[in-house]
Amino acid sequence: MKLTTKEGMQSEIFVPVTPKPVFTELKKPLSECKVAFITAGGIHKKSQKPFNTSGDFSYRTIEFDTPSSELMVTHGGFDNSDINKDVNAMFPIDRLHELLKEGFIGSLPKETYTFMGGGGNVEKFRNETGPEIARKLKEQGVDVVLCTGGCGTCHRSATIVTRCCEEAGMSCCVIAALPPIARQQGAPRITAPHVPIGSNAGEPNNIPQQTAIVKESLEWVRDCPSFNATKVLPYEYRHNV
Amino acid sequence: MSITKETVKAHLKDPAILCCRRPKGTVIGPADLEDPTLFDDMVDAGLLTLSNDGLTIEQVLGTTLAGDCEALTPITPGNLNSVNEVAQKAEEAKAPEENLALKVPETVKASVGGNGMIHLEVDKLEGLSLDIPAGIAFNGAPVSQAEPAAEAAGEKKVIRKLLKQHIKITDTEIGTETSIKDGKVTIDGSIVEKAVLEDPLCKSLTLDVIKPDNHHIYTETIMDVCPIATKVEGEHLGEGVTKVADGVVFMLTGVDEDGVQIHEFGSSEGYLDEKMYFGHPGCADEGDIIIRCHAVIERLKGMSRSGPFAAHKCQDYIIQALRDALKDYDGEVVREEECEDVRRKGSPRVVLVKEIMGQGAMHDNIICPTEPCGVAGGQKNVDCGNVPIILTPNQVRDGSIHALTCIGPATKEMTRHYIREPLVEGLAADEELDLVGVVFIGSPQVNDEKLWVSERLGTLLESMDIDGCIITTEGFGNNHIDFIEHIGQAGKRGIPVVGVSFCAYQGQLVVGNKYAAAMVEENMDKGGFENDVAGCSCITPEVAARAIQMLKNRMAGVDIAPAEKKWNNDVINANNKLLGLPETVLLDNGTMH
Repeated sequence: MKLTTKEGMQSEIFVPVTPKPVFTELKKPLSECKVAFITAGGIHKKSQKPFNTSGDFSYRTIEFDTPSSELMVTHGGFDNSDINKDVNAMFPIDRLHELLKEGFIGSLPKETYTFMGGGGNVEKFRNETGPEIARKLKEQGVDVVLCTGGCGTCHRSATIVTRCCEEAGMSCCVIAALPPIARQQGAPRITAPHVPIGSNAGEPNNIPQQTAIVKESLEWVRDCPSFNATKVLPYEYRHNV
Repeated sequence: MSITKETVKAHLKDPAILCCRRPKGTVIGPADLEDPTLFDDMVDAGLLTLSNDGLTIEQVLGTTLAGDCEALTPITPGNLNSVNEVAQKAEEAKAPEENLALKVPETVKASVGGNGMIHLEVDKLEGLSLDIPAGIAFNGAPVSQAEPAAEAAGEKKVIRKLLKQHIKITDTEIGTETSIKDGKVTIDGSIVEKAVLEDPLCKSLTLDVIKPDNHHIYTETIMDVCPIATKVEGEHLGEGVTKVADGVVFMLTGVDEDGVQIHEFGSSEGYLDEKMYFGHPGCADEGDIIIRCHAVIERLKGMSRSGPFAAHKCQDYIIQALRDALKDYDGEVVREEECEDVRRKGSPRVVLVKEIMGQGAMHDNIICPTEPCGVAGGQKNVDCGNVPIILTPNQVRDGSIHALTCIGPATKEMTRHYIREPLVEGLAADEELDLVGVVFIGSPQVNDEKLWVSERLGTLLESMDIDGCIITTEGFGNNHIDFIEHIGQAGKRGIPVVGVSFCAYQGQLVVGNKYAAAMVEENMDKGGFENDVAGCSCITPEVAARAIQMLKNRMAGVDIAPAEKKWNNDVINANNKLLGLPETVLLDNGTMH
């Protein structure tokens, strides 16, 4: 074959390399679902070994009946002051108990898993930590998984683990402070409140805002039409560091 | 560890940014640095601001922090006890060579080693770069020019012929009978009363004629532009003789009984001269007389599949009356197009894949109707399960696709687009290529179905044993998921592939894979948005020329530089210039943000 070629051409459209779609449709009402919440934001029990802030692919087990006052954060990637005021700003455990009481969700699993995604080792999260967390949640009969990131690389780690959960047959949503990263990394569903990293689940001690973010993220798990779709949530919070 | 040693190697020249807060005295290693591939997103998110005096990764590795340093801030000389000396020479020596590569004169036809030189570059010699005449090999034996194996190139075998006769029309009016006489089209005004009975969802139809000097006229949203074309010889579309009325086209507009425009993503109601990109393949041309057929359909049916279809079906009844008149009219032939379906054995086998809308409602198309660009006798791609359907180039050029799409005005492909599709024309005319067919594949609504039809396409491409393909899509958004998947299906089978779409700013791809490395942009809107000008950002002859050239490059192994991270019309115009094409001038339609 003889083809006329031309040196110096450039591709005209940027193509983010997003991993293959994963999407598990939610097939029952939220009020009958077992809902778990995981986070890459470095939350752990005060009694547990803190995360290594320069990168850590281990995870901590948090029983859902753990009082929020016994939780803390170890994360070097952002200002921790909001979480120090109210751990629900990253890991809204109190809001989930309220939604359970209200009947908005069906149940909570006995325990969940938290990690510190900052600078996370992609391979380890993809091949070890992610599948293990997914398996443990699935074994507890979890239907829905919500997840917060923290910093930029946290969003990547959060998305990797969330994808593992989706692949294991649970319907998941990343609540993203940095939606472009969650999107490009292939989060199955994304909600995007206007919040800074460090308060990914809403302003500290602002119960109505945190509740709305969790509720609408759950509704997005139910309503999201297809893989990787983002819903911008109309809640805004800015903190002065 | 934030990034691995391997990542560091690939990003030595990228900015050094701490991933987390680090105290004074820290000796900087890979574990302390943020992943450079995330910087663009972080900058977009307002999380990171890159600094002009920021140091690169190679300048900071192993150095010590002079004070505490925050996460996600560029490391500058002031933060460090010392800065690594980096050999600047290598970079400086390399830079002009890169520029040179971009300025290769058009006359150079590159093949492997096409300039007669072997080019060597050895990094460890600090950027030394050598050019050695290719005739001298290391063992003294001559090296043959790596010319692509020239077989008996492209012996042409004609499979079938189609003659398109363009019949001159100079005037059109609504009258009391339907006829074509002496270059004048007359439509019986009462025909709308019968046409409206074709579908109960269509409540009324009105016809009027818009002359070329009266294009500044208000119009409801433009659903379609459709030529008047009819078979006069030949059993099926794609063969025999077809007459096409020259100088007049139908334009379908529509609202529902409540006056709601029949549209989905933006509508194009307004002054016609501002709402149609005259001259683009899917649109009316400047000198065209436009027969406007306005349909009112049942309330709330605008977004269901049956509503817009009713409007198209009723209009087709009217066009058919004119087709019948055109069959018997022996008017002046202003132009004849001889179209051939051919095999060029020995030339690279290529296929054009066109992703068309298949999500239902207005996202549908009629394939292979009885008459060119018609409705009757065809099948809807949604009803066909959106599976890939292969047509010959002649079948496409004979009006095998009637578009029902009303998605974004600027990026939808209307019926007229397909009968004169620049990529079909360009590939079919190219004597270096063997265009074996045009595949139409619908874009389903459900994610699983998108992947399912894409798998079918992959199998089809494999079994056709092709050497390359171009994949296009109209619209943007969810259909980009399958569009990219189609590219992957070709790519993973080792088939060189070029993608063509509107993306620009608003339609930026949300998914991707490594095979989507040769991509052509259709945008012609200044802000990079889907605007409300019908046919604005579609495949033009320039888009087609760039895509075909990229495909040849891919097949011959000639590099195409990676895209910039953001849409930039300068890149498109640099490609245009390289190929001697006119500049892509963007339409300022108030979408700049």
